[in-house]
Amino acid sequence: MFLELTPKIKFLGLSFDLTVMIGTLVTAVLVLLICTLATRRREMRPSGMQNFVEMLVEFVQNITNMMLEPKRAEKYLGFAFTTFLFIFIANELGVIVMITANTTGPLPGLGITGNLLKQAHTDSISWFKSPTSDINVTVAMAFAITIYAHIAGLFKSPKGYFRHYFEPYAWMLPLHIIDEVAKPTTHAARLWANIFAGEVLIMILREGTFYLTGIPLMAWIGFSLFVGAIQAYIFTVLAMVYISQKIADNH
Amino acid sequence: MSMTVIAGGIMIAFGALAAGLGNGILFSRYLEGIARQPEARGTLFGQAMIALGLVEALPIISIAFGLLVLFGIIGG
Repeated sequence: MFLELTPKIKFLGLSFDLTVMIGTLVTAVLVLLICTLATRRREMRPSGMQNFVEMLVEFVQNITNMMLEPKRAEKYLGFAFTTFLFIFIANELGVIVMITANTTGPLPGLGITGNLLKQAHTDSISWFKSPTSDINVTVAMAFAITIYAHIAGLFKSPKGYFRHYFEPYAWMLPLHIIDEVAKPTTHAARLWANIFAGEVLIMILREGTFYLTGIPLMAWIGFSLFVGAIQAYIFTVLAMVYISQKIADNH
Repeated sequence: MSMTVIAGGIMIAFGALAAGLGNGILFSRYLEGIARQPEARGTLFGQAMIALGLVEALPIISIAFGLLVLFGIIGG
């Protein structure tokens, strides 16, 4: 059994996953640090950190310019850049650092009861991993983007928003509703599944024999870094696509 | 126990099959593209990588749920 338990605390009847909270906190602090350090002493001829962040901003600018009209692209650049940098760092963090502890007995304060330990056949507790390898995080991000896109579409033109559901024919309403439900679901599951499958394979290779922990593990870690970057890019592109579908002029 | 292991194995196997087929089609077309127009290699590579991420999505979702079934987290 390779899957690990996570510590949870109960507060006001809600269950908070400590691993995810630590992970998102560290990621947010890293994003803030990188952006603050890069813009501390700005120069006309950028070097080092500033150069790197300017390259990233231009990279994200290409995405927004590709998906939205130029006059709207400016407005969404900040949002797209934040999304991209947060997901990129969150994905790579779990590949680089993974902290796991073994417990000797049940820890009721952290939501790990004796019953759960017996059910899970494992005594390892994960304290640090990618926050994006937890489905709740990606679902929250995807739903927030979807709700924003719908509200932006409603505010732009309420008539156009509702008419869109009956175009080109009225009987296509069920198809549109399925489309609207499937979009956030696949948006979230795509990111989560890539990172989760990568982490589980790293855990399996780590537990294996010498022949598994050598070159196969290194190769898979390299591929995981690549997949993390690609998935951050795709998440940002799709977020911009879903927003632009709702606020586009031509329909 | 054994039935969930078989179910998880089937899900992972079909995920790998689908990813193999999808990536095969994608990269064969990409190679055709750069054989016809070698100077378009740079732009085609970027587009192929986006398409790779999109094609990989559904197989990897199947594999992730297969792993969850295999380890008895869901559907046991």
